[in-house]
This record gives sequence, C-alpha cells and structure tokens, in this order.
Amino acid sequence: MTFLRRVPRRLIQLTCFVGAVVLIWPLLPWAIAPRSFVQASPFVAFASSIATRSISVGAVLALLIAVVSSFKKRWFCLYLCPTGFLLENTSRAGLRKARWWSKCPPVGRYIAVLTLAGAVAGYPVLLWMDPLCIFSSPFAMNKTTSLISVILVCLGLGVLLGATFIFGMLWCVRICPLSGLQDLLFSMRKALWTRLTASTSPQKFGVARRAFFAGAGGALLAVWARRVGAARYSKSDTLLRPPGAVPEDRFTGLCIRCNNCVHACPSKIIHPDTGREAGLAGFGAPVIKFDRDYKYCLETCNACTQVCPTGALAPLDLQSKNKYVIGEALVDNNVCLVPLGKKECDACERACPYDAVKITWDEEQYIAYPVVNDKCIGCGACEVVCPTIPVKAIRVWTQKPA
Amino acid sequence: MRRSIATGGLFAAGSLMPVSSTPANQPAQQSTTQAETRVPATIVDGRVVQPRRELPVLQKTSVLIVGGGPAGTAAAFSAKRLGVDVTLVERYGYLGGLATGGLVLGIFPLYDRNNRQVIFGVGEELMKKLDVLKYGIIDRNKAPIYPTIDAEAFKFVLADMVLESGITAYLDCWGVDAIVDAKGAVRGAVFESKSGRQAILADIVIDCSGDGDIYAAAGAAFEKVKTNIGLISRIGNIDEVDMAVGRGSEDAEHPVTGKPGSGRPSKGRVNDMNGHAGNSTPAPHVNWLNMKGPVGDALDVADLTAMELKHRRGTWSNVEKLRQKPGNEQVYLAETAPELGVRLSRLLDGCKKLTVQDIRSGAKFNDVIGYSGAYANAPEFQIPYGSLVPAKVENVLAAGRCISADFEVADITRLIPVCWVTGQAAGLAAALCIQDKCKPRNVNVTKLQNLLHQQGAYLG
Repeated sequence: MTFLRRVPRRLIQLTCFVGAVVLIWPLLPWAIAPRSFVQASPFVAFASSIATRSISVGAVLALLIAVVSSFKKRWFCLYLCPTGFLLENTSRAGLRKARWWSKCPPVGRYIAVLTLAGAVAGYPVLLWMDPLCIFSSPFAMNKTTSLISVILVCLGLGVLLGATFIFGMLWCVRICPLSGLQDLLFSMRKALWTRLTASTSPQKFGVARRAFFAGAGGALLAVWARRVGAARYSKSDTLLRPPGAVPEDRFTGLCIRCNNCVHACPSKIIHPDTGREAGLAGFGAPVIKFDRDYKYCLETCNACTQVCPTGALAPLDLQSKNKYVIGEALVDNNVCLVPLGKKECDACERACPYDAVKITWDEEQYIAYPVVNDKCIGCGACEVVCPTIPVKAIRVWTQKPA
Repeated sequence: MRRSIATGGLFAAGSLMPVSSTPANQPAQQSTTQAETRVPATIVDGRVVQPRRELPVLQKTSVLIVGGGPAGTAAAFSAKRLGVDVTLVERYGYLGGLATGGLVLGIFPLYDRNNRQVIFGVGEELMKKLDVLKYGIIDRNKAPIYPTIDAEAFKFVLADMVLESGITAYLDCWGVDAIVDAKGAVRGAVFESKSGRQAILADIVIDCSGDGDIYAAAGAAFEKVKTNIGLISRIGNIDEVDMAVGRGSEDAEHPVTGKPGSGRPSKGRVNDMNGHAGNSTPAPHVNWLNMKGPVGDALDVADLTAMELKHRRGTWSNVEKLRQKPGNEQVYLAETAPELGVRLSRLLDGCKKLTVQDIRSGAKFNDVIGYSGAYANAPEFQIPYGSLVPAKVENVLAAGRCISADFEVADITRLIPVCWVTGQAAGLAAALCIQDKCKPRNVNVTKLQNLLHQQGAYLG
C-alpha cells in the first residue's frame, strides 16, 4: 500500500474514472465489460450472490476489494470509486463546504444490512443504491428512444450530483451502502482482531441491535415485495421483461437499474419502465416495448443477458436465449387483414424467425387466419411488421399459464 | 416436359416442324375449311392416340404474347409502341387476367418503405386512364393506402387500348403448346379455340400465361410450387353496415371494448367478420373480399375443379353468416370472381433467380428493369432482366407471376403492379430482339433501360 501513497490520490482517481468510462462505454472489444464493472462493487456482488444462491466469476474482484477495504478504511471510496470522484469534485465546487454531515447517523451500513438480509429472502431490497450501478446507468443514453427514458437513466446520478452540489458529501459519507458495507467490514475485522488480541472485548449492543432491526426489516420487506410483484405480474397483460429475466417476484429486487441491458440492446427495444407496467417496485426496471419500426428481439443476439451484473437476467447463451419465452404472440382476428378478407398479407408468417406463426386455412369456417404455435417466444418480429393501423393485429402479450 | 404436352402425342413427340407452309396473315375465315380435315383421336391397343397431323397457321407475327393479364397487356402495349408486329392471345373472353377476372382489385405493392411510388410505366398509364373514368379507381396517390380499381372499368380500358393500338388479339383462345424448331428454339405456340387447334408462328414468344405453360412446353427448366388458391368475391351493401371503415383503411373497432384492438385476444377465438369484411372498391357500397384458400396444385384440373366448386359454396355461406350479424341484414353476394385466384404454380429457372437474400440485402443489378414495392418486412427491390430469360431455351421470355424467383420473392412479384413491370420490360426486350435481330439473352440492356425510361418506367 505504501507505493500508492507516493502517487497523488487524484491521479489514481482520474485513472479509475477514465477506466470506468472505457469499460462501460464499452470501448474495449469485451462484451461483458459493463457487467464486470458493476460486479466489482462488493455490495452488488455479495447481495446478488446471496440472492441468486450462486457465485459469479466476476465476484472474485469484489471479494479482493472487500478484503483490502477491511484493512484500509474506505480505500475503495477514496481511490477507486468513479462516482466518489465525481461527487468529491462536485462538492468542492458546491455550496456547502462545512462537514455538517458528520452529525448524521451512518445510514449506509444499515441499508447494506437491510439489503443483504433481503437478499437472503431472495429480494435484495435497496441494491439499486449501489454507486457503481448509478454511475453505469446514464451510459445507456445512446440507446434510449424517448425523453422519458433519458430522464430515467440519468435520474440516479443526476440526483446525487444535485444533492452533493447543494448539501455536500452527505451521500458518500453517510448514505452510500457501498461505503457503509466497507465500514461494516472494517469494524468487523477490527472487532475480530481485538477479540483475538485483547483479553477484554468491547461490546456495542446499540449498533448490533440497530443492525438486527435493519436486517429483520429487510427480510420482511423482501417477502412482502415478492408477494406484491407476483400478484401484479399475474394481472398484467403487457409487461414483458428482457430475455433471461428471473421470475417477476424477484426481478424488481435483483434488477439494480444499471441499464446495462438497455445499453446493450442493438434493437433499442429495452426501455426503463416509468412504473406504468410494473408499478412503483418496477420503477426504472427494464421492459420490452416493440415501438420502433421493424425492430424486435433478434434471433442473432443475446447481448442483454451477458451484461447483467446481478443475474436478474441470467447469462444465457444464444441457443438458450432463443428458447426463453419473453411473452406470447396473440392474434386479434377482428383486426387481422386475413380473416377479414382484406389485402394479401402474410407479414407475420414471413417475419417469424422461429416458424411459430402460420396463416392457416380453416376448412370449417372457410376462412384463413394466423395461428401461433408453441415455438413462439414473443420476440416481436411479427408485431413490428403487422401492417394494421392504428393497432397491430398480432401483438406480444405477457405469457399466462395455460 | 415438352414430350408429355406436345401435340403429336405418342406418335409424333418432338417432331412438330415443319408446322405449315400456309402463308402468313391468313384470314381467319379460312381456318374453318381446315377444321374439316381434322383427324379425331383414336384408340390403338386400348390407348388413346392423337394422330400426327399438320396444324393450320393462324398467323405469323414478330412478337407473340400468350396471356392477356396485367403482364401480357403491358408487354403488348409497350412492344407495339416500338412499331413491331404484336399478337396477343388470351384464354378468357376479356383482358386483364386476375386484375379483372380474378377480382384482384388492390394495386399493391406500389410504394417503397417511405411511401414513395416506385412503379410507373405502363401501369401508371393504365391507372391514369382509370382516373378519368367515374367509378374507375379510388385512393390514387394516397400512400400507404393502395389504389383499388374497378374490374369492369379496367376491362374497358384494356379493350379500348387494344382496339386503338392495332395489336392483333385473340380471345377465348387457350395457349396449349410451344412450337420448337430442330435447334430447340421457340418459333411460336399452338392454341386451342372454337376454331380448333391452330398455330401462331412468331420470332419471339413472351410467356405471360401465369403458369409458364409455354416455356414449360418448350422444355425450359422450372420449379413447381404449390400454394394457397382462393377465390375473390364482391359483396354489396357493405357501406351501409359500417361507414367508419372508410376506403382501404385498416382500422377496426374492437367488438367488446369499442377501442381498436385494446383487449387481450383469447387464443383461437372464432372470427365473426364484425362488419368490416373486405376492402372498399370504386363501386359504391361494394367491397371486394379476399380469400386465402387452401393449398392446392394449380396445374391439376381435379384440384382446380374442387376449388372452383367449394370456394363458391363457401363464399355463399360466409356471406350468409355475415348477414346474420345484427345490422348486416342487407349484405349480399354481388359476384364471385370468374377466375380462381391462383397465386403461384411454375417458377422459371432463369438466367438469374431472384432470391430472398437479394431482396433483403437490397441487391443492385446492372440489368435492372424495374422495382417492386415494399411488402411486409421486405423492402422495395430491383428486378433484373435475367429473371425473365430462361436459362437455356431461346426465343422465349417470361413475364408476370411465373418469372425466375424464389418462392418467397415470387410471392411478391406475382402481384399486379409488379406484373406490369415485368410485362413492360419483356415486351420492350422482345421488340428490341426484332429490331436488333438478336436473341433475348443478348439484348442490349442499356438500350432496354433507355427504352423503359422513355416509356416512363422507374429504374431507381
């Protein structure tokens, strides 16, 4: 660690900041770089590993950072964190210079405990507060197609920058769950150290009690959120998640709104949700909407599943992705041109990459109409080519159990 | 291929030449005296045998066009304008083929993805002639809505043009065979009509039969495809059911919610036609009703007969069902199309087979002769001259739905305006062959493209 002291801290921060931008942009020919960047956060890596009951290769770096941080207090924040670098400089230019926040309680560590406890219940409640995830999100801007999406992807970082400008370093020092987690690790390591070396162990029941309540609260919140999410999904008709998405009850918790999937989608069909589809719990989480001309979930692409840092979208290979059911295409025969005897049309049949739509002749009714079979995964290729105006005759709907 | 169809049958397969020594431009009356010399088929050893016989030559011409549909008429008009001798033969008693007799009244696809019209030339001229007629055509220049023509108006326009242009036309005259010389080059075609079996000798034959009957008989390689065969009909008093549908618009109100398509459709719901059936036509209160139909073999008379009968019965009962909906009591079946809606049968193996990859990649051809409009997820695409020329057989060109293309591409090139495009190009190419004394495959493409430009065609 001594060699680091010789290099000015700001220079390391700047290097890390530039490195982060290079990784997320992504300027490297490394498809999973945006995922690896967010996974470097121990908060994200630990909570998502617990929630998904699996350990990703990317989590090893996070473990390393966690170990170093437990010896060197807030080492990550001071040297590596690009969000910290941004906020530090914002606060220098900001309105409040006084260190008034030192009087505030250390909320961050309770958020960390609450989230980790939620993760045990499968729903890491406040994981979206991770600073690396908030930093990563605005990069999705070059794949957004509406002003509302631009606002949504920039919301996190925008709020932090604004708040820091006005109130100073409150977020970094007191609220950030990643710094809170580092504090926890540091004091735990120290406590362990003291217990091993000293004969008397200093007890701090107050901290432990608060941590216990935060944990219990997190677990309860997680159970409640999962039930609400599942109920909401069963009622929804139009909610479509990107391929690889875990079941809806856990999705809104596991998804940290890093918008890496929005950023990765070449078709630009993944949008951050305004809450219209999945309610408050789903605010900012990715949904699929086939609202751009001829763009659908390509059978040649699994980019979104590769960049998710938490496993909210499982890392599927192309073959499995092409079997993942996003939704089901249904035909409204009172709109479709074929059964109504309007113009020659077999657009959906032609467009389907999976041979799932067939215009079928019904000898009994003496009429033809499109029939969707089990091969349909809801990629939307049919919906985007359907020529009916103003509403498509064939549309992808939320899949319902048969 | 030729042997099974050739006139000589078992005795004279492949030995049709010389056909006749009778002089050209023989008056039609003289054919009746020749008909008396016909020798009927006989039974030899329990097999029906057509004896070898000489055929009367009805006419000698420069360009013979078999089939008077959209492609055939476009070919005839464009070739005639170059001053060559043109003969047009049609199996039905009217011109226009599926555009009139098939009631394929929608002129689609005319536009590219940006709703710009890409098909002009003879087609545009015909539509302009329809423009000036009352109840002739609707929705002109209203992209993305495509125009709809009236069958009778179009029959009138075509009849008028043929009568004025000096084209020799024979209607009610079915092209049944090719006349092939010793080198395998096409020299004309054989026809069956009330005047019996007759030959027309020609320098170039354009096969606009739709089924590629002539090039197949001449021995050109082709791909046989089977697809849906329907029967279009027209229903009356439909405007009184729902005025909101409008001409050619495709919006429809959802029967339950009243909002367009806002409800989640249930799987496999039965269609109730809901009073929006069909597309409006220039004739007031009349819609034309498309039918997909089952898959059938358009080259099998049993399949065709079954379709003709079942489609007419099915159409009648569907209109009865439609009439049972409240408010639809006045709907009636105006007519079923005289011709079956055969979509595709034979596809030529040409010098260039137009493939799906070509149209997806937006392939550009040096020998481009026109464009097809955008259809479904396929963008507008170029059609090369090579797709009209058979790979091996000489003196014959294909135009219309039977040109050289993949099934998926042919499913677009078979549509009316694209038939106009290929017909016009084939007509001009044939006329150029006469003028330059060359084979169709050696036509000067630059000259052909200049002529197409002069006649108002769009080549990009």
